[in-house]
Amino acid sequence: MRAVVKNGIGVFHPQGFLDGNESATHLSIEDIEATINNNAVMILVSLKKVIFFNRNGLDAFVKMFKKVRAQTQATVGFCDYDSKKYQTILKFYNNELNFSLFQTQEIASLFASSYKNKNKNVLLYSEDKSQRAAMAIELHDNGHNPIVTQTYEEFSQKSEAENAYDEIITDTYLGQMGQSVATRVTGNAIIYTLTSFLDTDISDTFNIAYHNNSLNVGFRLFIFDCYKVVSMNIHALNFFSKLASSAAEYNATICFVGMTFEKTPKSFKETLEDSGIMFFPQMDDILKNKELLEELGASSAAVVKSKRMLNKATVSELPNFIDATVATIEMMTNAKAVKSDVQIQEITIKNTDDMIGSSIGYYGDLDGMVVLVFPLGIAKKACELLIGESTQDIELVLDTLAELVNIVGGKVKTLLGDHNINVDITLPRTYPNIESLMEIIEGKKGVQVDLLFNQEKFLFFLTR
Amino acid sequence: MITPDKINAFIERIPPAPQALQTTLRHLNAQDLTKAATSAKEDLALNAYLKNIVNKPIFGFRHEVSDISQIFGILGVAKSQQAVYNYMLTLLSPDKWKLFRLTKSSFYNLQAELTANWQKILKHLAIEDKEIESSIALLPASIIVSEALFNEKIDDVNLLRSVNAIDLNTILKRLCETDLFDISEKIAHKWEMDPKTAQIVQAASGIKPSDDEQINLLGKWMHLLLFFTLSKSPYVQAGLNDFIDFQIEYVESIYSEFMEVMEIQ
Repeated sequence: MRAVVKNGIGVFHPQGFLDGNESATHLSIEDIEATINNNAVMILVSLKKVIFFNRNGLDAFVKMFKKVRAQTQATVGFCDYDSKKYQTILKFYNNELNFSLFQTQEIASLFASSYKNKNKNVLLYSEDKSQRAAMAIELHDNGHNPIVTQTYEEFSQKSEAENAYDEIITDTYLGQMGQSVATRVTGNAIIYTLTSFLDTDISDTFNIAYHNNSLNVGFRLFIFDCYKVVSMNIHALNFFSKLASSAAEYNATICFVGMTFEKTPKSFKETLEDSGIMFFPQMDDILKNKELLEELGASSAAVVKSKRMLNKATVSELPNFIDATVATIEMMTNAKAVKSDVQIQEITIKNTDDMIGSSIGYYGDLDGMVVLVFPLGIAKKACELLIGESTQDIELVLDTLAELVNIVGGKVKTLLGDHNINVDITLPRTYPNIESLMEIIEGKKGVQVDLLFNQEKFLFFLTR
Repeated sequence: MITPDKINAFIERIPPAPQALQTTLRHLNAQDLTKAATSAKEDLALNAYLKNIVNKPIFGFRHEVSDISQIFGILGVAKSQQAVYNYMLTLLSPDKWKLFRLTKSSFYNLQAELTANWQKILKHLAIEDKEIESSIALLPASIIVSEALFNEKIDDVNLLRSVNAIDLNTILKRLCETDLFDISEKIAHKWEMDPKTAQIVQAASGIKPSDDEQINLLGKWMHLLLFFTLSKSPYVQAGLNDFIDFQIEYVESIYSEFMEVMEIQ
């Protein structure tokens, strides 16, 4: 059984009866590794479709949680249960609950640093005083507004108020929370979350290849969320100074938010500022200031200084990239694709009305970026399979398009893997119009393939 | 990925029930077990299948039963008809499974487990109806149809399901406006099975409750039985646990009773 990984949260969905040792068969080593490799910061098992479980049935998953924690330090636990199931799990694991319990996936996502929506008003209650405090701190650190109730009566009373809260949390328990460098994308900025002590380990926990390829894909603003950082030593200082130098080559900006220097030498701040890193007290100081965002490069990406040319290795794998894209769009639309033109050139889009774009980078044995330009009609049609109905909501189409491009990326990865070429993929990006796309790829040469789906022109562009 | 044309081609390829089977079923309908056994003996594959399935431990016979007349005699009319339908379904199953990690033997086991437990349920509900007893034979048709339609698209299905928790039935419904249980119904129709059989299996999909109270109740029991069975290790390993969506709300009203019947504690 494979986990569904979305916004950094991997969820397994077993169904029916989790009875005895048989439930161990729900998860193979490959399933677990595939989830870890997808950079999930939270790995959960949904009990929504489980009608019966016993201690042995859950133990198989708890063993998996331990294994995952040992490797990645991702947050692990169960979600999607009712009060009865919650009480049963608490009873089973009484004093050895080292995983988390989230009443719903939505509640879990509030605690995941990859969650893109912030500022949720959250009413919360737990019988356990220390849990109440722990949840409030985590929620606050993740940019939400927790409203803690001290008694069940107070909670019941407040929770009856209609539309007063975005989420209401009860029957939730925080086990060990994640410690790795979590990544999320907000608009066109990438936010990394750092925690505790920053020392030489940062070079192991920070995915530098991913970061470099995000630069290459066109991201220009990188924010380090440092609210939970206690202190930094000289090794971490050197690491961030080097990171700032490499970002400068791309005209990118690195910001630190919420970093206090109570236990870190003040001189470190000066050194980091000298290397170009900016400091802000609050995340909203950046994300809610549109002018500043523009200035920092999060809304208009600067053209890459060093344009990289397509190389032979990339061109020779071109059919794989096209096959992966065509097969995915065909699968999603049930329409046949016809190749109409292939050119090596800068991207040329004749009709820019009602077109949206998406891109995904890949890195490893090969590196580069696949750009897809869709007529809105095809994009909507392609997303229908995932959404389940037709929609006019462009935000929803763009979100779903990101999933679709993720599938293309996954397929590219598999096809190249068949040729012993190992690559990883970046997070996908979407562009609501052609102007925003051109800011990233204008002036870049690549292979442009024009395809026709149901007589509508769809454009594939491969560049580095 | 999958088009209505592909579905039509699949339905077209379903062979009519072989002559020997048709005659056997006709005699069973007339409650003539001797004649039914005589015509069943003409189909050697049916003979082998019946011997194999009846001697599985779940049926609990102490000594091996090998003669067809003896098998039909032990099973009685209703269970014999059910066994013949089970056999007919195996004619549709592939020689080599690709989408699901099943073998001929594990598929027979699945049929045997469903059949034996369905008998328990019907006994508990005090239902004695040959067609209702046989309806369980059609349930695994949804598995065979999934295998036939999706086996060449395993990678695509896996990729799709890595970003969205979507079951095969929903994928098919969204792509072709027909689902696995609609196709199962067409198989039942082609094989001239009693319409009640297909109605129960449609209700057992969990997403199409029946207006007929009894059929709806049986649909609930069958839906829960399916997931009880698919939660077992060999079927989880075969990738069958999440091929369709389990509808907990649909079966909630019979859950406690089911646990008692299946002796789950």
